[in-house]
Amino acid sequence: MYSFTRRVALGMALAVGVAGAALAEFPDRQVTLVIPFAAGGSTDVVGRIVADKMGENLGQQIIVQNVGGAGGSLGAGQVAQADPDGYTILMGTVATHALNPLILKQKPYDPVEDFAPISLLVLVPNVLAVNPELPVNTVQELIDLAKSDPSLAYASSGNGTPLHLSGALFNSMAGTEITHIPYKGSGPALTDVLGNQVPVIFDNLPSASGHIQSGQLRALGVTTAERAPSFPDVPAIAETLPGYETYTWNALFAPAGTPPEVVARLNEAAVAAMQDPAVIERMAEFSAQIVGSTPEELAEHVSAEMAKWEPVVTEANVSLD
Amino acid sequence: MELLSNLALGFSVATSLENLMFCLIGALLGTLIGVLPGIGATATIAMLLPITFQLEPVSSLIMLAGIYYGAQYGGSTTAILLNLPGESSSAVTALDGYQMARKGRAGVALAVAALGSFFAGSVSTLLVAIFAPPLTAIALKFGSAEYFSLMVLGLVMSIVLAHGSIVKAMAMVVLGLLLGCVGTDIYTGAPRFTMGITNYADGLNFVALAVGVFGIAEILRNLEDEGGEREVMTKNVTNLMPTRKDFRDMVGPVLRGTGLGSLLGILPGGGAILASFASYTVEKKLSKHPEEFGKGAIAGVAGPESANNAGAQTSFIPLLTLGIPANPVMALMIGAMIIQGIVPGPNVVSEQPDLFWGIIASMWIGNLMLVVLNLPLIGLWVRLLTVPYYILFPIIMAMCSIGVYSVNSNVYDLYAVAFFGFLGYVMYKLRFEPAPLLLGFVLGPLLEENLRRAMILSRGDPTTFVTRPISLTLLLMSLAVLIVVFLPAIRKSRDEVFVESEG
Repeated sequence: MYSFTRRVALGMALAVGVAGAALAEFPDRQVTLVIPFAAGGSTDVVGRIVADKMGENLGQQIIVQNVGGAGGSLGAGQVAQADPDGYTILMGTVATHALNPLILKQKPYDPVEDFAPISLLVLVPNVLAVNPELPVNTVQELIDLAKSDPSLAYASSGNGTPLHLSGALFNSMAGTEITHIPYKGSGPALTDVLGNQVPVIFDNLPSASGHIQSGQLRALGVTTAERAPSFPDVPAIAETLPGYETYTWNALFAPAGTPPEVVARLNEAAVAAMQDPAVIERMAEFSAQIVGSTPEELAEHVSAEMAKWEPVVTEANVSLD
Repeated sequence: MELLSNLALGFSVATSLENLMFCLIGALLGTLIGVLPGIGATATIAMLLPITFQLEPVSSLIMLAGIYYGAQYGGSTTAILLNLPGESSSAVTALDGYQMARKGRAGVALAVAALGSFFAGSVSTLLVAIFAPPLTAIALKFGSAEYFSLMVLGLVMSIVLAHGSIVKAMAMVVLGLLLGCVGTDIYTGAPRFTMGITNYADGLNFVALAVGVFGIAEILRNLEDEGGEREVMTKNVTNLMPTRKDFRDMVGPVLRGTGLGSLLGILPGGGAILASFASYTVEKKLSKHPEEFGKGAIAGVAGPESANNAGAQTSFIPLLTLGIPANPVMALMIGAMIIQGIVPGPNVVSEQPDLFWGIIASMWIGNLMLVVLNLPLIGLWVRLLTVPYYILFPIIMAMCSIGVYSVNSNVYDLYAVAFFGFLGYVMYKLRFEPAPLLLGFVLGPLLEENLRRAMILSRGDPTTFVTRPISLTLLLMSLAVLIVVFLPAIRKSRDEVFVESEG
């Protein structure tokens, strides 16, 4: 009965051109934001900061639910199959919406067909850093060393992660063969680089920034096309390897079939949250670059990212069953 | 003198009315969730994380830390009373603690656990305050080769000191190693033994396994002979507090447990897991009455409990000095710091001394609160055993299910509980012990991960394990343990580390 009246109301609203009636309906209860990674990681932190503000804008609380596992695929798959009513949304990342779909042989969901994009929220730079005992100060010196010393290795947060592939892209563009050492997450990878068990690391800038500031890690370059505002002295890798660009990003998605006016309402709340001074400040501390895009821009972004990573994934020969 | 002024600063922060309150809330909550079987500190901290947004950074971290070590206290309560360890560390406490409870000495076991934990917590907190930076340097010397050798030592100790049937113990360790293989291979990304179920891609959940083979199996066992044995536990309650002899028996184990736990706790990635197992092994080897172990030896509770609490405190060292998480709870604490705008890393000590020293001081205050809270509660907990089993067991089952589900919101973890509950029951019937299985399960993945990483780093050269001094020492220690055991004369005195109940 409820859905019938809502459909009638919706039809009337569209017919008469009064969208306000339908908009007022959503949301009438709390919204669940699924974060496809464990609590405490960078996606989780971004998600919680945004959820807090977005909830205020929507007038309903947003409950954060961490559904970690399988590199983000579990949580993303869960949202793909959720009711398309806007009450279950996903904090997607470069992993869930570009890399995993390219890497996984068995695809748990389709990143384009199964989702309604809401908004691209932030871009988070990655960083190439070395233990200070490694005698290199620039990206070029690292490339030279890698060519003369085949035993050089880099640590990453895991196989098929954006950081592993940032390294793979680096190897392919620089013509080096730095060995990849995967870890279970960024924490243990950092530990081994700080202890100089592995000399080189690709990491998220937020997670490495404390160690770079204290001098325990020497940052050689950020992976974004431009330098990061939080580290103006650290060059972009692209200054040595023109065209090199990778970053991690966070974006909101609803399940495919979510009514456009609901998506619009969520987009409005998300974009407003990204313009909030407190959020801007937090994101800056976090070295995250604010975007706050439209749904259409996010859709384009996803296709562009898939197109960009496909050759890297093929060349690095990463595939997971 | 700098230490004194630092500690003074810390205590001035930690003893503000507000922070005392958050410390108390954290310790209380931690005890509560520790006592509720299955619900662990990780899930609780994850749920409370959003609340900490609104708090001062110091207050929120004090509260979260309180939950963590409070849960270590509380976790031993269910291990002793119900044979239900919620964390890997309390699995060892269950061995002798539960046997003590069955003999009517539940109160004594709880008191020993609380006092041992308090002592260990106080000493290791002091260690954190004085030695945090040098200890961090030691932790950083541990590379993959060293971890591999440490895990070898751990496994060797578990096998050679196992219960009468060495073959059965080895079979259980191997089964544990195999179960540990379930999940995605981190080097190649190949899924192993997942039966095509994506939900097992990250492996089996430790809590599900432990709750199954210990807790659910115990319930099945109790239901089988309901009314018989359980009454013994409550009718024979002799005294709640330890006697003078009990105190004498616990001094040595507590001291050694504290030392072992403090050292192993600083190693990120698996060190703390070994602490309680190692302490139990050592106590049994040193004991004049090793035959009592597994049948309610007080040293078997005092040692491991001190070790796990000491380890819990010192695992803050890598977090506070390096910004590196030693376990999932520490990873959450890092998340909490980032949310508060604090960049975790070595600069925290110098830039936010009030935060650093405030947390350290609060850890000692929290431990004091816990012992003051818990000693009077012992009588209450013991009375819990008088609740009729037909009321108690459905509650335990429900709590276990909620707890396991809350870890990952993964239904498949519940299927795993059911499966391992059944497996645990079959193992009990066939007289296989669950403890070696658990140890194999925990150490196996670490052993493999580090073996392969060390081999990749050395470019396939196995001498890396003997050319690195720490690794070599650990391997020689493993060898020594093996030799000692296989000398026939000593073999006779090989004891029962992993004795499950004979009943």
